Amino acid sequence: MSDLSRRDFLKLTTTTLLTISGALGVGALFRFLDYQTEPPAKTEFDLGPAANYPIGSRSLVPDVPAFLIHSQNGFSALSLVCTHLGCTVEQKGGEFACPCHGSLYNADGKVLRGPAQKPLRALRVEVNSNGNLILHTD
Amino acid sequence: MRPSFFHHLHPPTIPAKQSRWRYTLGAGGMAVFLLLVLGATGILELFYYIPTPDQAARSIQTISYLVPFGGLVRNIHFWAAQLLLIVSAVHLVRVVFTGSYAPPRRFNYLLGLALFIFAILLDFTGYVLRWDQGIQWALVVGTNLIKTIPLIGNLLYIVLTGGTQPGLPTLIRFYAWHIFGLTLGAVILGVWHIFRVRRDGGIAVPPPPLRVDKERITRKELARREVLAMLMTGAALILFAAFIPAPIAQPISDINVMAGDAKAPWFFLWVQQMLKWGDPFTWGVFVPLIVLAVLALIPYIFPKPADSELGKWFPRSNRSAQIILAVIALLIIVLTIFGSLPAS
Amino acid sequence: MKRLIALGSAILLFAIVAAWWTNSRQPKPIVLIPTLTGKPEYCLTCHSGLREISPSHPIKTFGCVICHGGEALALDKNLAHSTLRGGANPSDLSVVQENCGGSNCHSGTAADNNDHIQRVMKSVQSTYAGAIANILYTFGVEPDLTARFGIHAVTDDVITTTTGVPALQVFDPTKQTNPSVLKFAANCLNCHINAQPLPGSQFDRLTGCAACHTPLPNLGEGQGVRGQIHELTTAIPYTQCNTCHNRGNYDLRTMSFIQRTDQPTTRLQDYYQPIAQFTKCEYTLDCIDCHTRAEAMGDGDIHSSMKDIQYIQCQTCHGTPTQLPQTKTLTNPNDIAFRLAQLNPVVDLKLGDTILVTSKGEPLWNTRVLPDGTYQLVGKATGQVFTFRPVIGSGCTQNGLDQSSAYCHTCHSVQR
Repeated sequence: MSDLSRRDFLKLTTTTLLTISGALGVGALFRFLDYQTEPPAKTEFDLGPAANYPIGSRSLVPDVPAFLIHSQNGFSALSLVCTHLGCTVEQKGGEFACPCHGSLYNADGKVLRGPAQKPLRALRVEVNSNGNLILHTD
Repeated sequence: MRPSFFHHLHPPTIPAKQSRWRYTLGAGGMAVFLLLVLGATGILELFYYIPTPDQAARSIQTISYLVPFGGLVRNIHFWAAQLLLIVSAVHLVRVVFTGSYAPPRRFNYLLGLALFIFAILLDFTGYVLRWDQGIQWALVVGTNLIKTIPLIGNLLYIVLTGGTQPGLPTLIRFYAWHIFGLTLGAVILGVWHIFRVRRDGGIAVPPPPLRVDKERITRKELARREVLAMLMTGAALILFAAFIPAPIAQPISDINVMAGDAKAPWFFLWVQQMLKWGDPFTWGVFVPLIVLAVLALIPYIFPKPADSELGKWFPRSNRSAQIILAVIALLIIVLTIFGSLPAS
Repeated sequence: MKRLIALGSAILLFAIVAAWWTNSRQPKPIVLIPTLTGKPEYCLTCHSGLREISPSHPIKTFGCVICHGGEALALDKNLAHSTLRGGANPSDLSVVQENCGGSNCHSGTAADNNDHIQRVMKSVQSTYAGAIANILYTFGVEPDLTARFGIHAVTDDVITTTTGVPALQVFDPTKQTNPSVLKFAANCLNCHINAQPLPGSQFDRLTGCAACHTPLPNLGEGQGVRGQIHELTTAIPYTQCNTCHNRGNYDLRTMSFIQRTDQPTTRLQDYYQPIAQFTKCEYTLDCIDCHTRAEAMGDGDIHSSMKDIQYIQCQTCHGTPTQLPQTKTLTNPNDIAFRLAQLNPVVDLKLGDTILVTSKGEPLWNTRVLPDGTYQLVGKATGQVFTFRPVIGSGCTQNGLDQSSAYCHTCHSVQR
């Protein structure tokens, strides 16, 4: 082995070793930072007895926030989180308006005016064994 | 090559004889590396540490047990801090035993001594941040010691703890000192110290006409040596941290109910041992301050080492300083050993 | 030098790989966020195999820490266990208030029937006041049999019975001089529910509430598995009562406890002292089938003797030649009987059922009056169904007021 290639070999070895070390270090750093000390936010909301929401009722559930609709077809719910950048939309007449950037949705959550592109998210509603309405946001 | 900050700290060449490991022991450089490690791991700990009495110990449990690699980060921070004290002490001993404090380095010697004090204070404040039963005794006794200082003791106690007994204000103050006040001070002193090393002509060597060995090494070679030292120290720290955990204990439930181990942190065991002899102010405050004063005065009261003897271990011309330091070091080591023995 | 740096890099890589390796060997944390506290607990990382302690304390609701204490976030055994309250047994009386107490839990009000802790602290089972009073009187230290001392000091602000005393002081043997009393203090103060049991598997039980509510399987000499029993039950078998009762005799001359030497294997053999008389129901039933929660845990008053709180008699279930036993028809859905039946579902109690009650009106919820005028009792620990008749119409000529067991045993006794 010539003197030059021997030096190159050493340099290559050192670089390789340090690169792997660095990669493992960065990997460890990301794993260190990717930890949640707080429990994840609630995704299940107990809205109380289903009987409290008669057919034809449309109720605001502020702590979700969501809008609960009981129609002939059963229960349904709309998330009130604007699909543009996450502000909470407000009920105006039969429509939902976003106070932040002016997006407007109709009563079913369809976009009437941008900048939002997607309709308001439909949330899953079910009645549990105790007869309580459970709203799922996940 | 374009001049850079790197070149500020690395002269083109330095005398080969005085850049040997067995002369410098690599202590100063290692201390700088450890400070960098402590800064990096300290920042990571900040992401999870909560400085309140009811959360502090629990957030450390979170870091130690739940965060991936959190235990490793904390252990590296711990071991680097312990090593920093040892390395700093070795550096101090080397400087005195080689007579390197002689003018024009007298002032830098004082800067270095101040840095050492900062390192001890950083270690102690960091230790208190655990806020668990392992530190309770040392915190209460350490702060009560302040109260024994005549006239201004009570004032100093409140300045230090922010109350009449250790509590939330104390933890917040120790936290602020640890991560900001002392760290900032240490960084400023550290940069100043390194700058003065360069300004004072690098490592102490005899003036050129008196040099026997004219050989010199390049800054590249110096940098390589530094890299090697960092690799080895880094590897040692990681291995230590991976297998030997930093101490942890159950949270303090009531600061007034003394629980846990009645031991000072190891670097204050010598003071704790002296406290058994009597008056707390005399043994816990006055004597340590005298020791510090003697150390600070070494460059000023002892004869300056001869120029020809610079850059060598144990110059004959400053024997008295060597003996004084050796006696102090020996006493501290002996007291530490006695202090670490289990109480009979 | 370059070779050294390459070597140094290799060592660094080795160290980092070692760090990853040790990290991968850490136990994977298992988190539990109980709905009552909402705070994460990591106890299940090690204790995942533990069974639910009881249907009334589901782990999803309570978690571990609310009852046991401990460091919820620590995965180091010693640190995690360092702040446990009461070690493995949170119901030890020294810590029970902190662990099981609370107005919604077991130190509520008598009206809500959840003042368990207050009652137990005043009960003779925990104060041992009766025995202490008896000994002090017998040896002339005190002028009468009224209890003045207990294992622990306790006061009672609301006395509801004629035999209740207002307060007990701690019984302090160092203040005694009589040699017999001193012997009693040395040998006998371990006969209460918060005392450590005597050595031997026949005595093996926990302390505090768990002394009764956590029955230990009898695994034979030296085979106790104390810390690992994770159960609370109201279906307490007679064997659990027997870890204290029926274990021997007291010798007042030597002031010592003489253990029985036989090793009974059947209910018949296990019951009472060898010379005693008893009827069939006294050994086929479990103790708690007749004796009520007030008798076992106290009625909220501090009594001077077990006799003041023991009131179940033959007539409670069987009546007398002139009177039927007292009964009650359940009309209130909030009747305590339903709660007790739900905790130990051996009977399907319904509104409108008629059950027997004690002289104090407490429901014997595991009994029922059948349409034909006979009675039914379901064993609380065995689920076994017993039917029995009232004394009326049986030809029994006993005077109804003579209820001491010797009277009934004259005719109704079992040969052994």
